[in-house]
Amino acid sequence: MPKIARDLLLILLPVIAAFAVLPAIYSNHLLLFNFIIAMTLAQGLNIIYGFTGYLPFGYVGFFGAGAYGFSLAVIHLHAPPLVALAAGAAAAVAFALLLTPLFRLSGAYFSIANLAAALAMLQVVSNPNLESITKGPYGISLNGVFNPTFAYGTALATLAATLGLVIYLRYSHFGMALRAIREDPISAGMAGINVVRERIIAWLLSALVAGLAGGVFAWYVSVFYPETVFSVEFTIFSIVFVLFGGSATVLGPILGVIVLYGIYNAVGISTPQYFQLIYGALIMGLVLFLPNGLISLLQRRGIDVP
Amino acid sequence: MFTYSLLAGLLFGLYFSLIGLGLNLVFGVMRIVNLAHGDFLMLGAFLAFWLFSLFAINPVPAVVIAFVGFAIAGVPIYYLLVPRLLRAKDPEMLSFILFFGLAQVIEAVTTIAFGTSERSIPGNQLGQAIATVESLFTGHAVEGGPVEIFGQTFPASWVASGIASGCAVLLVYVYLYQTRLGYLTRAVMDNREEAVAAGIDVHRVSAIAFGIGLGLAAVAGVFAPFMLGSITPAMGAEITITAFAVIVIGSLGNPLGTVLGGVIYGVGYMLMQSYFSSWANLLPYVLLIAILLVRPSGLLGRRVRRA
Amino acid sequence: MSPDAAPLLHVDGVVKRFGGFRALDNLSFAIGRGEILGLVGPNGSGKTTCINVISGLYPPDSGNIRFEGRPIGGLPSHRLVHAGINRTFQVPRPFLSLTVRQNVEIALAYGGGRDGAADGDAILASLELAAFADKPAGEINSAQQKMLDLARALATRPQLLLVDELAAGLNPAELERVAAKMKELARSGIALLVVEHLMGFIDQITDRIIVMNAGKEIFEGRLAEAARNAQVVEVFLGDEHAA
Repeated sequence: MPKIARDLLLILLPVIAAFAVLPAIYSNHLLLFNFIIAMTLAQGLNIIYGFTGYLPFGYVGFFGAGAYGFSLAVIHLHAPPLVALAAGAAAAVAFALLLTPLFRLSGAYFSIANLAAALAMLQVVSNPNLESITKGPYGISLNGVFNPTFAYGTALATLAATLGLVIYLRYSHFGMALRAIREDPISAGMAGINVVRERIIAWLLSALVAGLAGGVFAWYVSVFYPETVFSVEFTIFSIVFVLFGGSATVLGPILGVIVLYGIYNAVGISTPQYFQLIYGALIMGLVLFLPNGLISLLQRRGIDVP
Repeated sequence: MFTYSLLAGLLFGLYFSLIGLGLNLVFGVMRIVNLAHGDFLMLGAFLAFWLFSLFAINPVPAVVIAFVGFAIAGVPIYYLLVPRLLRAKDPEMLSFILFFGLAQVIEAVTTIAFGTSERSIPGNQLGQAIATVESLFTGHAVEGGPVEIFGQTFPASWVASGIASGCAVLLVYVYLYQTRLGYLTRAVMDNREEAVAAGIDVHRVSAIAFGIGLGLAAVAGVFAPFMLGSITPAMGAEITITAFAVIVIGSLGNPLGTVLGGVIYGVGYMLMQSYFSSWANLLPYVLLIAILLVRPSGLLGRRVRRA
Repeated sequence: MSPDAAPLLHVDGVVKRFGGFRALDNLSFAIGRGEILGLVGPNGSGKTTCINVISGLYPPDSGNIRFEGRPIGGLPSHRLVHAGINRTFQVPRPFLSLTVRQNVEIALAYGGGRDGAADGDAILASLELAAFADKPAGEINSAQQKMLDLARALATRPQLLLVDELAAGLNPAELERVAAKMKELARSGIALLVVEHLMGFIDQITDRIIVMNAGKEIFEGRLAEAARNAQVVEVFLGDEHAA
């Protein structure tokens, strides 16, 4: 059967089914929700890093933009949740559009400029002068939309859509073009690929994913501080999951999330410092010894991993 | 208020030039942005703090200890991390992530070891040192305390830091342009491949430059308790970004540019503090993005990196 | 094989500077449809820069480049590919993470010319790459990678093909095949600009040549006459041989 259908059946379906069924068996729904968010964000980062080679160190900025877009729509426009979610996604995409000039920069510069942008966004949002709009440093508290079941379901739908998108990228010409761009933008240009445009499309898709995740997160928790949704932890997690599992594949980030996030929760690392230490060391180890992730161990043997 | 902002900005900016100097050297030689730079600075700050608290060592000798200690430590760190990276397909990106990881590790270890509370060193420590030096020159005893410049008063520690920054820039300049090793370093900075072809031991040159870069970060760290108030293990991240903004504004690879970048940042920050204080924290980020987009080669225009 | 009345490509007074160095210094020449023009010159004379500028890697600093009568200087590469210009690279640049077939497939999908998509398998077959179609491009040898580079360019159905030192490293049998291929392309109306060091290859396939030195064109005409031209000899071999 065609590869896309195979992956949809063997990867997307089981993952979604698992997360749909687990809440009935396992009572810590917040943890399951966090898993879904982690997986969504990892795949979102995979779209931009795995397929174009640019690593946005401020990826969490889109997550936060989505969360605040959702929240502001609810607070100021009294929008119903799904409309507010669209607003959150739009906010993230708008932020991404604003940042597209950064693509003129080479890899490391892009990353750090993107990080600066996300940190700047955090400063803006938590500025006391803007309290009437964004609630400043005191955080958001949403009334009237608290609906964990519906929110969970929407998160699951978002994950499904994201996985579908990555599967599409894996086998489509668009995905191939992105990998060509990642490898050699000059040669890609001579193959007729509009490097700038394709890159921007991937970038906006990546931001869209994070924005939806952020909006759904805001919906599910309904109460959060600016630092929560702009926390560098989200970016660190996403980078590590993708690096660990392997980029530009569908399975890589899923593997990364299941193994690493699973361990993180199983071990119950309560102190943030130990998380930081372990993950920092993990990042260093991966870069030095396994820069292409776990998947590369299989790929080296010639196995074409989905 | 304006004059104060200007002069304070100058002093503050010189300090940030010092911070940027080490980062610039490392980047110029290896094309790697050391995202852990701010964290090495933080380690230097803690070193100064512990030297003072435990051994009552004045910050001035602490500067020397910090520089030598970190410079020596820098060489093995380089050899441990960098040569492996340079063999990979995308060394710039990977090294970026690697040092990001290192920054997390340093911050985590320090937090675990020292806790998150803020530490500081009494301001008069540096003042005493200046007073001692001044009295040696002028021949009569001088009181430590605030220094007056153009009618505005500043803490002596700021003046000391400004002087130290100026000295550091001078020393780096002398190193690069008057010593043989500096000459080799400039060759590597200009064109790494050609330097290899010319038989220069590029790794040795880079390792030494890396050590000096870390040493400079540590020196800046010694002054941090005085310039930035208190020190905590988490201070590194924002400092790294600010340092990066400073060196990009001043053009990468150019030490004088770092001075210019630092001063621009310092004056800008002080002015923001005086007139729009709650937005002052945005300044480094906005400056960085603006300069990267408008004039990525920096104000002195050298070596732009484009995708 | 005489050139059309109106040249397909017209390069007029093009200047390209890198810092203070003039890589192209008022370069002018023209190529007609179906013509094979050779471009020779010592190392550093600007031959590859010439190709880079025409194929959109750099914009010219001044001067005009006209393709089919329309100005193209400064347009991005992908636009030029769609207009009908393509090139090979001196050091081949296939997409190593894709298979041989995918390398051609991507060019077909994105660079398909106005005459519709070419036949990818036919192109691979004509360049002796059909057997390797499903291998990753990183696993074929360098001569094959050169052919893959050419295949990628041909997949976009160019009217003008810029060939950058294709002959280097090919054995005599491969050279024969490539020469035949070039002539076949010219017969079908494609114009070729062939940068080469291998004079035998140039002699075999080109109608006329241009000799470059220091960014300027110093000779235009047939290869045999070039060998008798004092300035050309001096540029290649030094003063003592010029007399």
